Amino acid sequence: MSNPASSLPAPASEQIRKPPRYNSFRLQLRDNLAWRILAAVVLSMLCAAALIALSGHNPLTAFAAMAVGAVGSPHQIGAALNRTTPYLLAGSGVAMCFRAGIINIGAEGQIAVGGIGATAVALIWPSALPELAIAASLLAAAATGAVWAGIATAIHLGRRVHEVLATLLLNFIALLLVKQMLVRPLGQFGAGFLQSPQLPAATRLWRIPEVDAHFGIVITVIIAAGLSFVLWRTRFGFALRVAGNSRPAAAYAGFSLPRLTWSVMLLAGAVAGLAGGIEVLGVHRRLIEGFSLGFGFKAVTVALLGALEPMAVIPASLFVGLLEAGSLSMQRQIGVPSALVVVIEGLTMLFVLAATVRRV
Amino acid sequence: MTDLLAAAIRIATPLVFAALGGILSERAGVFAVGLEGMMLTGAFAAVVGAWWSGSDLVGILLALLGGAAIALTVAVVAVRFRADNMVTGLTANILAFGLTSYLLRELAGGGGRPIAIHLTPLAAWPIPGLSDLPVLGPLLFAQPPLTYLAVLGCLALALFLNRTQAGLTLRATGENPEAVFAAGGNPMRVRMLAVIACGAVAGLGGAVLSLQQVGTFTDGMMGGRGYLALASLIVGRWNPWAAAAACLVFGAAEAFELRLQSFGVPVGSYIVQMAPYVIALVVLAGLGRSTKLPAAIGQPLQSD
Repeated sequence: MSNPASSLPAPASEQIRKPPRYNSFRLQLRDNLAWRILAAVVLSMLCAAALIALSGHNPLTAFAAMAVGAVGSPHQIGAALNRTTPYLLAGSGVAMCFRAGIINIGAEGQIAVGGIGATAVALIWPSALPELAIAASLLAAAATGAVWAGIATAIHLGRRVHEVLATLLLNFIALLLVKQMLVRPLGQFGAGFLQSPQLPAATRLWRIPEVDAHFGIVITVIIAAGLSFVLWRTRFGFALRVAGNSRPAAAYAGFSLPRLTWSVMLLAGAVAGLAGGIEVLGVHRRLIEGFSLGFGFKAVTVALLGALEPMAVIPASLFVGLLEAGSLSMQRQIGVPSALVVVIEGLTMLFVLAATVRRV
Repeated sequence: MTDLLAAAIRIATPLVFAALGGILSERAGVFAVGLEGMMLTGAFAAVVGAWWSGSDLVGILLALLGGAAIALTVAVVAVRFRADNMVTGLTANILAFGLTSYLLRELAGGGGRPIAIHLTPLAAWPIPGLSDLPVLGPLLFAQPPLTYLAVLGCLALALFLNRTQAGLTLRATGENPEAVFAAGGNPMRVRMLAVIACGAVAGLGGAVLSLQQVGTFTDGMMGGRGYLALASLIVGRWNPWAAAAACLVFGAAEAFELRLQSFGVPVGSYIVQMAPYVIALVVLAGLGRSTKLPAAIGQPLQSD
């Protein structure tokens, strides 16, 4: 079966019985996506402007200060790129899952355990092999992320637990697991708060000169492009899209739904774990409590903002990264609290959800 | 031992309200992932309202409104626009977190520092006679007002769901919205109202924490309590009394964990905190294919 699409007969509708509850078709993107998303972003910015005006500031000055804070100097651009990295990585993984109709909101936990994996390997890696330290730590991060996603998948497929509930509950377990690891095996004794010792110098990520961003952003963009290729140019990606459009059609075409679910969940878990590893190696240089707080939920935001297309998740996550990087200087200069960014993120997401994604 | 039980009741009370709200929403067929945000907004509105007006009652009323307002966004996006329930709920949590943090700072006149509001936590209302009973009296019958209300809420919700026409319609909307439509009902209106009511009740849960127990509001002060309530209503299989019992068990686990810490036993305290989520997963896995979950939960209404 070289081209599954051509060999897919149109089955009589009565042959397809009402699909089982959790296998029913989940997400459908509407037409004119780009315009709808743009409108959603503009609407949320307008709402934010109204909020700023209501609290007695000038919205235009506030937005200008935010823009200057985000891209005003090479260093600030670098900070924005560092913020963008975890959102883009985890977000493109989430986009692949959503494409297949699997609502994986476990990136939060997968990123967290990825940080554990990277830290553990970085700390025990033999100093005789410094060249491989980074690769080994990042591989460990991806592997732990994949294992965490695998647990959720096993519960979802094995016991028919809704994947959102399985991944959501595992998030909280993962965040507590980070704390527990920082108490016992990975913690720095006497630090006063929960953190690991600083990682060895061999695991320092190379930094891009001038902007001073770590090269995680480069790895990340390459991976996003790779995922986009997989989604649009491979048999696996085709199967994902068919399954996302219609589970019965995918089953009819001979795709194994459990195998698809396993593959895409492990893939998303691996990239989310990698995001955690890069954050630890590139930004904090140690595992700290709450290092990834909110990353996984924002990964869902950027995935939807990028219309579930990994290449479009690049600008979407950059948008969020720039907003966050610029917000602190807006707060410093204009006095508009930086929490405004969270409001913008929430509003954008609500408008995007209402305007683009619907369930059938 | 009685201290432990008292702590368990105190920790469980906000959860019970949120779980009751969540049951309303989920029995009507809409996943209640937004509980955290509804509680948070309720907690914020309660503290700011009570501080602004000087009246706790105004605070409590505003908590109902605040929770309902966040729930309204969920209702519109998830029910009316048929977006995914769960993702919408998560988004509402993000929005609530951002809005409350933002407003808390704007109330202080802008900048990065939130306004500091300190209120006296609601006083206990001992029930005459009963509160004089040995052991049980101080434990059960000398509680602050909202704790009694939580018990009444369980009773009211159980009666509403099982003994009233409206409760039947609500449950039917969660099981088979087409049937409700065929019977002349309006499933969309039922779901939207259920979600909004869920927000109001969950907002009250937030008020319990902020107004009755702490007397102030801090950023993200729910700290995952909304998700814990979600776990407890799953463990309680969408039944008000069972969900409240699950909240009490989780409360006891947390109280026990706090006790361990104060005795300087750090071993595994985070493992203990994982218990509610692990239990919820085990219960869900145990339910498997069984039909306890409302049949049409999370399924959007057909457009027609």
